[in-house]
Amino acid sequence: MSADMKSRPPRGGMLVDGLAQVGDCGLFLLNMLGAIPRSLRYLREISRQIWFVGAMSLVIIMISGLFVGMVLALQLYYTLSIFGGTAALGTVVALSLYRELGPVITALLFAGRAGTAMTAEIGLMRATDQLAAMEMMAVDPIAFVATPRFLAGVIAMPLLANVFSMLGLLGAHLVGVTWLGVDNGTFWSNMTSNVDVWKDIANGTWKALAFGVVVSLIAVFQGYTAPPTSEGVAYATTRTVVFASIVVLALDFVMTAFLM
Amino acid sequence: MPIEAVADALVEVRDLTTMLSGKAVFDGLSLDIPRGKVTAIMGPSGTGKTTLLKHITGQMRPDRGTLRVDGQNVPTLGREALYALRERIGYLFQNSALLTDYDVFENVAFPLRQHARLPEVLLRNIVLTKLQAVGLRGAARLMPSELSGGMARRVALARAIVFDPMLILYDEPFVGLDPIALNQVLKLIRTLNRTLGITSILVAHEFAAVRQVADLVHLIANGRLVASGTPQQLARGESDWTRQFFGGEADGPVPFQYPAGDYAAALGFTGAAA
Repeated sequence: MSADMKSRPPRGGMLVDGLAQVGDCGLFLLNMLGAIPRSLRYLREISRQIWFVGAMSLVIIMISGLFVGMVLALQLYYTLSIFGGTAALGTVVALSLYRELGPVITALLFAGRAGTAMTAEIGLMRATDQLAAMEMMAVDPIAFVATPRFLAGVIAMPLLANVFSMLGLLGAHLVGVTWLGVDNGTFWSNMTSNVDVWKDIANGTWKALAFGVVVSLIAVFQGYTAPPTSEGVAYATTRTVVFASIVVLALDFVMTAFLM
Repeated sequence: MPIEAVADALVEVRDLTTMLSGKAVFDGLSLDIPRGKVTAIMGPSGTGKTTLLKHITGQMRPDRGTLRVDGQNVPTLGREALYALRERIGYLFQNSALLTDYDVFENVAFPLRQHARLPEVLLRNIVLTKLQAVGLRGAARLMPSELSGGMARRVALARAIVFDPMLILYDEPFVGLDPIALNQVLKLIRTLNRTLGITSILVAHEFAAVRQVADLVHLIANGRLVASGTPQQLARGESDWTRQFFGGEADGPVPFQYPAGDYAAALGFTGAAA
């Protein structure tokens, strides 16, 4: 496959075309990985992309994390109080956030906030011949456009997921301790003695890293292969959100089963 | 028609055959682009003029045939050699294809920043010289979205010549320009060719504009070279092709009707056809 790969014309039924696209996506990933050494020349571009997909996503991630933590504390407080176990509130909230909700919700938000932006941007660059112009200026668009965005997504996702979980804890503390009156010391001490850095936090971080890889890959691939029309870019953007969400949720199940 | 041997051809196309989705875009095309001249490639829409430019730059590869640029057979070049060749070719895209993230100055500086490690002062001077040449030094800090179509094309031209290429390819440089902008672009094409000796290939439909700059015109149709000569020679319309193309006849070797079945039958007059 060459760097100027474009969308394939449909050939067979839905199944054949779908499988062919998965194959193309895999080859595209290999292409991007192969371009990493050349991409390292464009450190400024990589850091610019980390700013775009990471730092610029911080606000939505922090607000969402705060609210998810607050809701989680409310719901779990109610459930735990049935068994008289509200002392475990901090532990349960932290485990749910770090092991599951943090990585998954962050990945879904990331697909909507940063993934769509990547797809639309690259798709429009293709439609306006900017990628072809780079080719003509002897600059490999895979190395200059695709790989930096992919790497930025992979780097940003685990960081964002951890920020999400931290803000979630803060929200849970706000509701559980400040509002519902769970003892502050119990909240923290139970949590710190039951949440393990390697078993729980690292576990969630691995997940976030994997989600970062698939969401960024899907977003960049969809943009790169979008038909160069306004309709084509619109569909590609939609596909990014749909495919990324499904793959993240499915992969979450598989990873949870294996990492347990 | 026999290919006249050109003493010094920068681009040599021989027996080029390319199939695109089952249809032959080029069917044994052979032609020469002389060094240091402005050559226009003309032909009916859909004859693959832009495709030919993409072959010259190695963005597309033919199914058969050779295409030599400055002695190198482009279809057989590897990535490194191809990129090295592209650094010596300027390409003006139909829609300018400026990088929308960067301002005018950075667009023109882009190839230099990618391929040459120059001190910032020198880089700045080169970019400003090129912008001055296209008359847009004052627009250096504008973003591409703030430019008119004609200005964007001149910026793209400045970017295409920033490395002092041996060859410039112009893909439809006159489309959508008002008469003033058209004359400015014509003047630039002529100046770049005459003063810097850059070989130029021009894909265009506007014969009136082409006449003013081209030294040689190749007319392509049905995947082959059907006529070539100076604009004056072709304008005399000595063959069916040149008569239709430059005389503006609606029907001729290029039929007005897209191939279709029997007309009477399509209208349901089965009896009338008998």
